[in-house]
Amino acid sequence: MFERRLYYHVDWAMLGAVIALCLMGLVQIYSATGGSSLYVTQMYGIAIGLVALVICLAIDYRSLADKSHFIYLGILALLVFVLFFGVVRGGSRRWIDFGALNLQPSEFAKAAVALVLAKFFGESRRGAVVPSDLIIAGAITFVPFLVIYQQPDLGTAATLLPILFIVAFAAGMPMRIFGILAVIALLAAPIAWKFALKDYQKERVSTFLDPEADARGAGYQQLQARITTGSGGPWGKGFQQGTQGQLRFLPVAHNDFIFSAFAEEHGFAGVFVALGLYLFVILRSIESARLAKDRLGAYLVLGVLASFTFQVLYNIAMSAGLAPVKGLTLPLMSYGGSSMIATLAGFGLILNVRMRRFTN
Amino acid sequence: MSQGENRRRIGERLIVLQVAVIVAFATLGICFWVLQIVQHDKYEEMAENNHQRTLALRAPRGVLFDRTGKILVENRHSFTISILREHSKDLERTAQLLSQVAGLDLAQVQQTIERHRGEPSYRPIVVVEDATLAQVAAISARRLDFELPDVRVEEVPTRKYPTDALAAHLFGYVGQASESQLGDGIAQGDIVGQQGIERIYNKILMGEDGAKRVVVNSVGREISTLEEIPPTEGRRVQLTIDYDLQKAAEAGFRHAGFNGAALIMDPRNGEVLTYTSLPSYDPNDFAAGIDRATWASLNSDKLRPLQNRVIQGRYSPGSTFKIVVATAALEEGLVTPDHRITCNGGANFFGRYYRCHLKGGHGSVDMRHAMEKSCNVYFYTLGNMLGVDRIYKWAEKLGMAGKTGIDLPNEQESLIPNTEWKLKRTGERWYPGETISVSIGQGQVSVTPAALAVMISTVANGGTRVTPHVIKAVDEGDGKGWAPSPVPAVADKVAFKPDTLTALRDGLWMVVNAAGTGRRALIPGRDVSGKTGTAQVISNEGRARARGTDRDLRDHGWFVFFAPRDNPEIAGVIFGEHNEHGYLGAPIAKHVIETYFAKKEGKPLPLLPEQTPPSSTDEDPDSPPALPPVIVADNQVLPPAVVPAIATQ
Repeated sequence: MFERRLYYHVDWAMLGAVIALCLMGLVQIYSATGGSSLYVTQMYGIAIGLVALVICLAIDYRSLADKSHFIYLGILALLVFVLFFGVVRGGSRRWIDFGALNLQPSEFAKAAVALVLAKFFGESRRGAVVPSDLIIAGAITFVPFLVIYQQPDLGTAATLLPILFIVAFAAGMPMRIFGILAVIALLAAPIAWKFALKDYQKERVSTFLDPEADARGAGYQQLQARITTGSGGPWGKGFQQGTQGQLRFLPVAHNDFIFSAFAEEHGFAGVFVALGLYLFVILRSIESARLAKDRLGAYLVLGVLASFTFQVLYNIAMSAGLAPVKGLTLPLMSYGGSSMIATLAGFGLILNVRMRRFTN
Repeated sequence: MSQGENRRRIGERLIVLQVAVIVAFATLGICFWVLQIVQHDKYEEMAENNHQRTLALRAPRGVLFDRTGKILVENRHSFTISILREHSKDLERTAQLLSQVAGLDLAQVQQTIERHRGEPSYRPIVVVEDATLAQVAAISARRLDFELPDVRVEEVPTRKYPTDALAAHLFGYVGQASESQLGDGIAQGDIVGQQGIERIYNKILMGEDGAKRVVVNSVGREISTLEEIPPTEGRRVQLTIDYDLQKAAEAGFRHAGFNGAALIMDPRNGEVLTYTSLPSYDPNDFAAGIDRATWASLNSDKLRPLQNRVIQGRYSPGSTFKIVVATAALEEGLVTPDHRITCNGGANFFGRYYRCHLKGGHGSVDMRHAMEKSCNVYFYTLGNMLGVDRIYKWAEKLGMAGKTGIDLPNEQESLIPNTEWKLKRTGERWYPGETISVSIGQGQVSVTPAALAVMISTVANGGTRVTPHVIKAVDEGDGKGWAPSPVPAVADKVAFKPDTLTALRDGLWMVVNAAGTGRRALIPGRDVSGKTGTAQVISNEGRARARGTDRDLRDHGWFVFFAPRDNPEIAGVIFGEHNEHGYLGAPIAKHVIETYFAKKEGKPLPLLPEQTPPSSTDEDPDSPPALPPVIVADNQVLPPAVVPAIATQ
């Protein structure tokens, strides 16, 4: 199954960049949590994630795609299970308790959706995307979206949407449909504002638009994120020297706001390196999509990459106080086992596609 | 669609995605550039404001010692509880929780916050001054639970005054600096002296606040100290006051059962030994911020406890003024001490009959006996010979006109009339008839107890008008030790003729030691000399009119004294408010003098007799005679010129 010559086609450079980001995140978690054992947990997450990566790399993505509907249904079942029997933390029901490990199935839903969508569009015999395709693909995406939204976890649910759009885009969805969707979204926004968003979500959005109006309440985190980042300066305050993160002015400095804390301690120089690594990983993945042997491979790479990229961009923008505060982690760097494992597994798929570009 | 075409389209769309990602990352990069490089200084400062706080370390005020080194006023630690608005997330909630935890009235806390709303938010709002330990404990516990991160408990040095409000008017009190006191090293919120020594010597006593820069975390807990500038304690000051004499005087008043004032000093240099004004207030009430109710009750009290009677109360000196008239007549060479005048119980001047207090008259008396018996006719005659301007001249030389120059705030000027003054004030010339009442200390004469103390000191020391002062030495600080304060310049100096001095001293000695009115101050072997007097509160006619009102119309009593007769070491005045008889102040003077000598000679300090003195029915020669209206040249009739000696502030 794992032929020896495939070994030479593994994208070591990208894998190196991914692991480098994991280690930077690990160091930052250690710094932000100052001696607590969270970094050890994160190390386990990385280790398990690498195992998952190897597994996803080892099995031919085409075989995986063939089984994708089982994977999809399995994840969906877990999501429904979580909805009823999950562990509640911070007001949402997201986790399955496995004793030592809490698993968050929604993180794995991304890869599952990517797989199913890649298979759906990749096997389409039609040259172009027609509305009926879009409706089926939409259904595939929105079923897990709605289940995750019920947890509630709008942030993770939202990361499923880029998968749909990017894969559909690559599959040749006509631009005018994008236009129509954009118009519908604009028209739907006020309705969503009124009915779909919860009060705290509305507050976050309105606070983002005018953070000074509520510098002590909801605007606090956003303002603190900006202060944290800005006070880092060109070279940063140094490892464990960040006052904002260390003294807890910045909330969840090891998780949602890890990039702010990173920017504080390592300055613009560190930010430059981290942004560079992320950009490298993303561009390299797009390159893998281009090199993919078949459409299935290309769509799979783009599907996995879409949610990853969306989350990276959103989280980093939020870290600089440039986006409304949303409980969205930074893939590869933030603390969190499920996210780490799912993300690394996703990169296993991307590497998989590139590695097998010459096989039949 | 062909396979190749498909691939080309995917390729195109991938380029779009690549460009989009690069643009997105470039945008993020620029944003971080702006935040971290361009606006770095701004956010750096905001981060520092977040986690660094500068706490003021209050400097304790300088300790006050008495002349023997006993501590009079020191500092204790008290706790203030304040709200730091800049760290408040929800001020309303903080107010509620704080008032609940500390047992405060919520409305009052909210009012306090409202009052300071206009101030910059970094300035803490003090909610409780001098908090109880229970309050401090309750709040500290909540702070550990992160419930009140914006509440600060601070230990501050607070003034501690002696119990029993000892010498309250001398020490004065402290309070937050008012708008007009700001500047010159005094900042908003500083505690500064508002009255008494605390005010006059505020600069010396205040010291310099220190500061502590600390790092706090997001819930306000102090993590570490960055820098600490310790406060510099105010300089220590030694007063001229003698604690035991001060206590003796105040005990004397309590024992005698009336209010009043006393200023007792060393006549040789003007060092004030005792400074008393009663009724008093407790300066401790002010030390940690006075509450409105106490302040209001102090202000509305009819007995006016806030008035510093020693230098702010003005009363007619009555018979004590005869000392001035006698001195003037002798020094001007109008009479000799042996000059005799016959008193038949009254005499005619300018067509009016002026009575002596003794109906049958004193017969023929010389000056010594006239003093001893306080014969009005004798001094009417001398006053008439002198004229008001010469009386004024000598009153001024003895220190009874204007201010004494004591180093305490808000001293009132004592008033001795003269022709020029009257012309200026009323536009009328002086009528010689008015001089007659002035010569027994009635009429327009209105003086502070301090002025009388200076007068009797000048007589005691033979003509040197010393300036009373309350500071003996100041600690220079920096280990330089005590430096004696410069003795204030002598205000005036006249060398009395030896005859004058002997006669005055003899007469005053006889008042206490012979058949005079001051026998209650007699101490065998101490040669106490003195003079009693009565300050009329209201004219006899006015008294009839004021009957039925609740004004206290009883006369005030004076006793001025020095001891021993030759080379006096202690001199002063006892003013008894509404005590009706000057001689009732004599026992207070006696007790202080006895204490003085006992202390000097290392003997046990005297105790006051257990029982209260019987209310006197002695005949009082100082009782003001009913003065006739003054007949002026053009036959106009003036009402008797008795100034109601209402205490003026």
